[in-house]
Amino acid sequence: MTRNPPIYLLEDVTHFYGDKKVLDIDHLEIPRGSITGLMGPNGSGKTTLLKILAFAMRPAAGSIYFNGRPEYPFSPGIRSRVTMVTQKPYLLKRSVFENIAYGLTIRRDSKDMIKRIQIAMNSVGLDYEGFGFRQWHELSGGEAQRVALAARLVLKPEVLLLDEPVASVDAQSAALIRKASLAARKNWGTTLVIASHDLAWLFDCSDTQISISNGTLFSTGMEIIIPGPCTSAQGQKMTKSLDDGQSIVLPPMTGSGKTAVIQTDNIHLATRFEKDNGYDNQIKGQILSMQMTGRNQRIMTTIAVSQMAFMLALGPQYSSRLHLQPGKVVFLMFKSEDILWR
Amino acid sequence: MDYIVDGFVKAVFLLIHLDPATFSAITATLKVSSVAMAVSLVAGLPLGFILGYFDFRGKRHLKTLVDTLLALPTVSVGLIVYALISSQGPLGEWGLLFTLTGIAMGQTILALPIIIAITAATVENIDADLKLTLVSLGAAKHHILRTCLWEVRYGILAGAVAAYGRVLTEVGISMMVGGNIKYHTRTITTAIALETNKGLFADGMALGIVLIAIALCVNICLSFLRKQ
Repeated sequence: MTRNPPIYLLEDVTHFYGDKKVLDIDHLEIPRGSITGLMGPNGSGKTTLLKILAFAMRPAAGSIYFNGRPEYPFSPGIRSRVTMVTQKPYLLKRSVFENIAYGLTIRRDSKDMIKRIQIAMNSVGLDYEGFGFRQWHELSGGEAQRVALAARLVLKPEVLLLDEPVASVDAQSAALIRKASLAARKNWGTTLVIASHDLAWLFDCSDTQISISNGTLFSTGMEIIIPGPCTSAQGQKMTKSLDDGQSIVLPPMTGSGKTAVIQTDNIHLATRFEKDNGYDNQIKGQILSMQMTGRNQRIMTTIAVSQMAFMLALGPQYSSRLHLQPGKVVFLMFKSEDILWR
Repeated sequence: MDYIVDGFVKAVFLLIHLDPATFSAITATLKVSSVAMAVSLVAGLPLGFILGYFDFRGKRHLKTLVDTLLALPTVSVGLIVYALISSQGPLGEWGLLFTLTGIAMGQTILALPIIIAITAATVENIDADLKLTLVSLGAAKHHILRTCLWEVRYGILAGAVAAYGRVLTEVGISMMVGGNIKYHTRTITTAIALETNKGLFADGMALGIVLIAIALCVNICLSFLRKQ
């Protein structure tokens, strides 16, 4: 019995902007029909990776296999199977109908076009009668985002790549985009890769999550990346100074790793400072938001620490025991030795 | 002041009475300028797209050359075309000297750099997400060309209007290559120059008003198209 190859397999893919390495992926597999969440700070390489997965950009080096076969950017065979919605969706200077019809028109696929466009619009919560003949400039940001998504969904793509789909939309639009994305997987087996800063939304949508920082992938998605710069003022250990005067103690930099990462499992919460408890990091923060995720019954808790945000998936009992609620001040406790340089 | 008023009155008179000489000049002007613009647009749009869209070796030098050609004096173009199509020139046997085709050739040389330069500049400023959007929607290269040009159509229209204005109002090429032959190659601008030299200021004024009216009509049409 032969095992189905993953829809994507990336081997030793690197990319540079000028001299700066922006992507460095040894190995990445994305299974067919999966929804993969891609998270990371600005400039971490999310969009570059999505463009490479969309075959709209040639990496500096490395191999990309699509359904087990090597594929190349702009190849005609791949063009109609993978589609991407950019962070700031570009709508053609035409009506909503013409925007959604564009992909079908260039494929000369006009069979039941109106009906298919109506279905695509309905799937993103847009009424055909009310929106079909509006011009591109008559739409709000959320509506434009949904029109861009409908223009891809009408093509029933094999792969749908979404770059920050809910970055500038309201909660209702975010819910509609989530629903439409999940329906694409359910109805046509579409594989989705979604990059988003809205981690609660992303965890709610995706099966697996990948963190990316400085172009390097961390596969579990349950890591906190501690961004630089760090100094080695405390003996051999490194220190990351925060804007509010606190500092995070990190282990000495080892090997070639330049990104400090800690697994969220290694972070514990307390409601007050605890003296001599064995944790050399006790960082004060404030709970920004708590959101229940439907998939695994965890509460995605975002804690603001100075200019950073820590996102932890907490069990309901744990949250209840500590009486956690948005606005509450908490202490994040972790050992410097649990921070890894990768 | 009287002769200016006379000019307006005469202009209306010539137009209402369908003066053959005036209408011959108007027809010749519209014919040569339309042919020149059509050829310039057909050749200039793809060339401008290539210059603006793709990165290639020598692009900067090519752009400098095109920008230099924008300032080409019409008499210089007239001189070059004259040298090419006169009986001693390499294209002399085609018999294009003192014909409307010859004038259209010269005017094409005048308009082409404007169309190329403005198309290139407009395409260069296209939103970077447009190409990614088109590629991700499955567009092939010819779809990308057509859609990009359509997306920047208003910028290109403005360039076409500028080029049309230059072609419509030039004198040097029409005079040198066309020879200002009445009922044959006399255009509005060469007629104005001739009538004014003869002291028939009102006639020149009348033709000038017609020229401005044509420019106004073109702009009104384009403004209407832009609203559609």
